[in-house]
Amino acid sequence: MLFPTTDFAIFFLVAFTIMWALNSKPALWKIATLGLSYFFYGWWDPRFVLLLVAETAIAHVGARMIHRSTDARVRKWWMIGSVAALLGILGYFKYVGFFAVNVDNVARSLHLGNLVPLIQPTLPVAISFFTFMAISYVIDVYHRQLEPALPLDLAVYLAFFPHLVAGPIVRGSELLPQIRQRRDPNNLDYSRAFQLILRGMFKKVVISSYVGTAIVDPVFISPHSHSALEVLFAIWGYAVQIYCDFSGYTDIAIGLALLLGIKFPINFDAPYSADSLQDFWRRWHITLSRWLRDYLYIPLGGNRGSKAEVARNIMITMVLGGLWHGANWTFLIWGGLHGGGQVVGHLRRERRKAAGLPEPTPSRWRHAWSVFLAFQFVCLAWVFFRATSVSNAFAMLGRLFTGWGMPSPLVTFWVVVSIAAVLAIQQLPQRLGDRFVAQMSHTRLLVQIGVGAVVLLVITTLGPTGVAPFIYYRF
Amino acid sequence: MERLSITVDVVTTELDEADATPAHRPRPTRAHRPWTTVLGIMAAALALWMVLDATTLRHNAQVSPVGTRRTVALAFLNPLASTTSVLQIADFEKAANALLGRDGNVIGNGQTFAVSGPKSKAHPKAPAGPHGTTPPVNLLAHPTAAAPLRALLIGDSLGLDLGGSLQNALAATGVVSATLDGKESTGLTRPDYFNWPQELSGDLSNQHPEVVVAMMGANDPQDFLGPPDVPFGTEAWSTEYFHRARSFMRLATSQGARLLWVGLPPMQDPVLNQKIEVVNALQRKAAKSLHGVEYISATKVLGATYSPFTTVNGQVINTRTPDGIHITPQGGSLLANAVVARMHGALGINLP
Repeated sequence: MLFPTTDFAIFFLVAFTIMWALNSKPALWKIATLGLSYFFYGWWDPRFVLLLVAETAIAHVGARMIHRSTDARVRKWWMIGSVAALLGILGYFKYVGFFAVNVDNVARSLHLGNLVPLIQPTLPVAISFFTFMAISYVIDVYHRQLEPALPLDLAVYLAFFPHLVAGPIVRGSELLPQIRQRRDPNNLDYSRAFQLILRGMFKKVVISSYVGTAIVDPVFISPHSHSALEVLFAIWGYAVQIYCDFSGYTDIAIGLALLLGIKFPINFDAPYSADSLQDFWRRWHITLSRWLRDYLYIPLGGNRGSKAEVARNIMITMVLGGLWHGANWTFLIWGGLHGGGQVVGHLRRERRKAAGLPEPTPSRWRHAWSVFLAFQFVCLAWVFFRATSVSNAFAMLGRLFTGWGMPSPLVTFWVVVSIAAVLAIQQLPQRLGDRFVAQMSHTRLLVQIGVGAVVLLVITTLGPTGVAPFIYYRF
Repeated sequence: MERLSITVDVVTTELDEADATPAHRPRPTRAHRPWTTVLGIMAAALALWMVLDATTLRHNAQVSPVGTRRTVALAFLNPLASTTSVLQIADFEKAANALLGRDGNVIGNGQTFAVSGPKSKAHPKAPAGPHGTTPPVNLLAHPTAAAPLRALLIGDSLGLDLGGSLQNALAATGVVSATLDGKESTGLTRPDYFNWPQELSGDLSNQHPEVVVAMMGANDPQDFLGPPDVPFGTEAWSTEYFHRARSFMRLATSQGARLLWVGLPPMQDPVLNQKIEVVNALQRKAAKSLHGVEYISATKVLGATYSPFTTVNGQVINTRTPDGIHITPQGGSLLANAVVARMHGALGINLP
């Protein structure tokens, strides 16, 4: 069930009514929330609800056993066992086909015959998201940062439908207390929620769909057929498309949760206004960034150790972060580029520090230049992220050098305006929208209803018939 | 906690922190309301939107798969859309569509992956023959960059899987101007959803292709809309589908272009696979009955039985996507090679 559909609108109205009606009965609220969330997830394929249940059971048993034991070794082995089981499920569904093909081809080239079975399981929607949440829960209990939750609470935490399919990756410490406590039924921050939902829909249905079909998809399908200018705008366009797609989903998810009395962490903070790769990762998919930081980078050693060790830690974290998105060499290269870029930035900062040089004087032009460079590097990496294969990515990049002097019919006025507007808005403070929403919330209810309906109409009119799934559903 | 080079220093965990306003400016306060009022606002806004957008919603319901869901939706939306039409509420959307230039095919709206290789100096408008008939297009045996071969690639999502790879391969030759016109979830069974004959007619008029490559049909195993409906799997359905496929192929070759029709590969789901075999058999029969149409079996390239992998020159290639239906770019390339080989073999076109 996709968010911007009539099916989901009906589902949400029912879910909203049931959940608030049961708000004063915590046990029933949890059961209803879980049932609704499983129904939502089962809409794609009911079989995979069992997978969600299985991961919940593994996380629950693991956390309970860790909490029960006082022996450090036993606790550690339960933690390792639980995390390995969760990663095993993720690995089987997501990586076994990729692994099998590559191992098989190496084995064949060495005349070792067929070493591994060639299988390709169907990838369950959102498995990467809820697996990472389950892992964080187990590790937080291991580190005594979290008390084990009741099985029902844990199940609701992992399955809560607003975040289920594409995040944000919410921590147990953020969501479990909100599941346990009763929400205030008389104090809904509804105007903020509506703003987030409608903004998210506009980003996804109008901008992302338009830029995707108008230039990104045709050019990435066949770079050889397009001019350098079209390729350039397709690359920038993809940066805009994936931002509007993913942050649009997140906006809707945060807004829906808010309507249900639950607060989610933010996941995006104007990422294309970043002036460095380090800054970009503070602003892009924030909940994944902090997951990788806390459960991978720091355990690897983080910033402690020699330059080489820090560089290694950064590279491992970013490459595995790339692999999290999918089993393809293109994602590994994407992660490697971001890792390499950050290693260079880290070494430059360290060198400056070692030489006793002061931080560069901030100036408007210097900042603008840094933002421009960071964006171009991010776009270079996006080429690999979007490309269907490594050769497709190199064909795109090669075309930037060989495709000049051709007509560029896909670089239309509206394509340029859409891309420029999304990038420009990120450089501005986001106060105007907030003030407008605050004022709107004090207008008469009939006006609010009318504005809501007209905005919906504008979105559905400007958007295509039939909405493509969110890009991040695949991860 | 140590300061890290890769990620966030401080992660905002409260939504409202994103709203932090400088101290010198009064923070705008938002009204908060009880959930019953919010439910009323949502329901009323959605209801008003449904009234304003009833015509489109009805159209979307009409073109959805036949079944209970469609019946229920139409029972609700038909009277609503009729009322709004009388009240001329739908005029807003009509005006918006006109403004956006959406007056083409039902859902295509000209929104196709129409991209070309090197352009021919002009797409010559074929002169009308005697009695208004169009003379056959002369196939270029040795296309050049100055006089490229015009190819039109059409299809549904599987056709796009093939078309992307094929278009890229043809464009890379430098002597083919290939236009890809694809639309997901389409076929020949539901012209009310997407009218392929109408789309193809437009493409033929605009592109004047010398070669048409088509691949579609995975969405076709469904009932023909009536009244009366013609259920899939019946003799009447097969007869009708054969005629539609044949008629579509004749249209593709009506201006002298040669048609390469690519059959569907096997599917992972056995039930769907059986249906696809029915569609393949009818498409093959239709292709064999016409002059100027070549049928290319995808099963000969991707395997007679479903497998996500194909071995080529000792290397295992992942040719199918995890959904068990679609084709990966690598699989598309294999299929594109088969099409190019047939262009060379059966049509005598020499590509570098």
